Amino acid sequence: MLLFAIPLGITLALSFGTTDDFGNAIYGWHPENYEQAFDPLFLPVLLRSVGFALATVGICLAIGYPVAYYIARFGGRYKHVLIALVVLPFFVNYLVRTYAWVALLADEGLVNGVITDAGIRDEGVRFLNTSWAVIGGLVYGYLAFMILPVYAALDRMDPALIEAGKDLYGTRWQTFRNVTMPATFQGVLAGAVLVFLPAVGDFVSAQLLGGPGTYMVGNLIQQQFLGAENWPFGAALTTVLMAFLAVWMILYLRSAARAAREATA
Amino acid sequence: MLNEENHSGAGLARPLVHGIRRRELLKGGAGLAVAAGLAGCGVGSGSEGSKEETQRKVKAKVDGDLVYFNWAEYLDPELIKDFEQKYGVTVRQSNFDSMASMFAKLRAGNRYDVIFPDQSATPRLIAQNQLLRLDHDQLKNYDQVFEFFHDPVYDSGSAHTVPYGMYATGIIWRDDKVSGMTGSWDDLFREDAEGKIYVLDDFQEAIGMSNYKNGFELNSYEEDELEQSKQTLIDQKPLLRGYSTDDVQNMLNGNAWIHHGWNGDVVNVRNQADDPSIYKFEKCKEGIPVGNDTMAIPVNAEHPGTAMLFIDFMLDPENAARNVAYFGYPMPNHGAVEAFNKLANDDPAITVTLEDLENGDQFEPMTGERRRAWDRVWTEVKAA
Repeated sequence: MLLFAIPLGITLALSFGTTDDFGNAIYGWHPENYEQAFDPLFLPVLLRSVGFALATVGICLAIGYPVAYYIARFGGRYKHVLIALVVLPFFVNYLVRTYAWVALLADEGLVNGVITDAGIRDEGVRFLNTSWAVIGGLVYGYLAFMILPVYAALDRMDPALIEAGKDLYGTRWQTFRNVTMPATFQGVLAGAVLVFLPAVGDFVSAQLLGGPGTYMVGNLIQQQFLGAENWPFGAALTTVLMAFLAVWMILYLRSAARAAREATA
Repeated sequence: MLNEENHSGAGLARPLVHGIRRRELLKGGAGLAVAAGLAGCGVGSGSEGSKEETQRKVKAKVDGDLVYFNWAEYLDPELIKDFEQKYGVTVRQSNFDSMASMFAKLRAGNRYDVIFPDQSATPRLIAQNQLLRLDHDQLKNYDQVFEFFHDPVYDSGSAHTVPYGMYATGIIWRDDKVSGMTGSWDDLFREDAEGKIYVLDDFQEAIGMSNYKNGFELNSYEEDELEQSKQTLIDQKPLLRGYSTDDVQNMLNGNAWIHHGWNGDVVNVRNQADDPSIYKFEKCKEGIPVGNDTMAIPVNAEHPGTAMLFIDFMLDPENAARNVAYFGYPMPNHGAVEAFNKLANDDPAITVTLEDLENGDQFEPMTGERRRAWDRVWTEVKAA
């Protein structure tokens, strides 16, 4: 808890500081950093980050749920191997994986090479430096965080429930909707939170795969530390972002606590 | 605040669900308070060094591996290998992509042995006692350095640095994709190249370029002039592919047709390209930022002796010549003149002369209010 609280404390203290002539941070009492953080100029940046993160959650769910479902229900004795295979790429550092995408998706990179050679199009497609490239990078970066909780929830579910559901509801879709979905809802929610929270503050995808119009809150904060030499302002932005994300986290925790109580009631 | 206590562990396992217990909240709060108190007492960034530290004598001899910190692709990798072999050390390389990132890494406490600040960064480092004094007697090849740099404006007596590459900022472009370049900064605003244009991801270069385009001084920070330059940059954004200082790679992988970039990099691109003839460089008539990079040893270097040897190694006339052939920038070293003249013969646009440095516009070291004004503009341009 201490390892967690001390950096938070330093960030908080720094956020009230200012910079000297050389750009070094000095501590003090300068709440105007927070005034600056709420400048309406930055609102589109925050909205964009939330938008990207929500899209990422949606796509991760669309891809991750079927994968988790297949492994949990049909993996049989290879379940563990399959899930390990899913997780394996994530041992490679996120930054390195994103760089790989840059090489793959460049205008004259691998994917476009295949497209032009196969005659699908004359010129390549511009993948990089677009919003969708950033979202793609985010999905690729955080997919495992969706698959694992959903898999855990599915795995935990008693397959007899599905059999019973088939008797009750008849069609596979009805069974899924009325039995499987509610039973795994907490897993989905956990995955959604695990993807949403870091995705909002992400800066790697936007920096490597994005363009001038995909600036996210993470990049704004990163710039204050690495570019603008304004660590106190960066710290203020960080604190505001953390407070914003904490709201969602608390809502999630309440929902999960309520579900747990209901389950054992 | 959530302070329910969930002890019902039966049934569904909840990997993420647990009430925040009161005790943990108190512990966390205490941690926060301690940290805030420590921070308030000023335990943290102490980047002001002492003058004595910088004056200590360092002998040029091997005292460990070299921790090297430079722009990417800005020094011949063969030379690094040769240095490693000659002195039996390893060169641990890190890169920065702008002066701002270099400062950020230094400020964060990273210890490097040799760094490459440019002439706008050096005075700031010297003023904060961050650079070691270089004993010229220990540098056997120091006499190879042009007289002009024995007492440069940015480092009196060349006490803390030796010069590296001389640069000029202009535009690199692809002849096979665009034609009719006009030798003006307007070329970065061409609508027919929409989505294929890059501007340098460096606040001084970008705002400076916009200042030039609007007819202002390179380093102007007049409020209305800055405001106008800011608007120019914001209006340009829809045309841009991105902001990047990696002009070499962006040109090579086809992402860029027109790139705000540096003179030597076009040579670097040609060295690596399948078809070198399509890459061109132009300087712009509204104004040309010029300057030079330097080599320096931070005051907290762990292996300054090896660093001295490395600097001497790079000042060797043959090595300087090889380096010029690799990265395309003129080096103010007598041994490198011929090598650069050969390159300039093929493409006079890449030349930077001592006259240019003396009379041309250079980026000024930015501190205080000026720095903050430019930072604000750059943040607003990025976020818009």
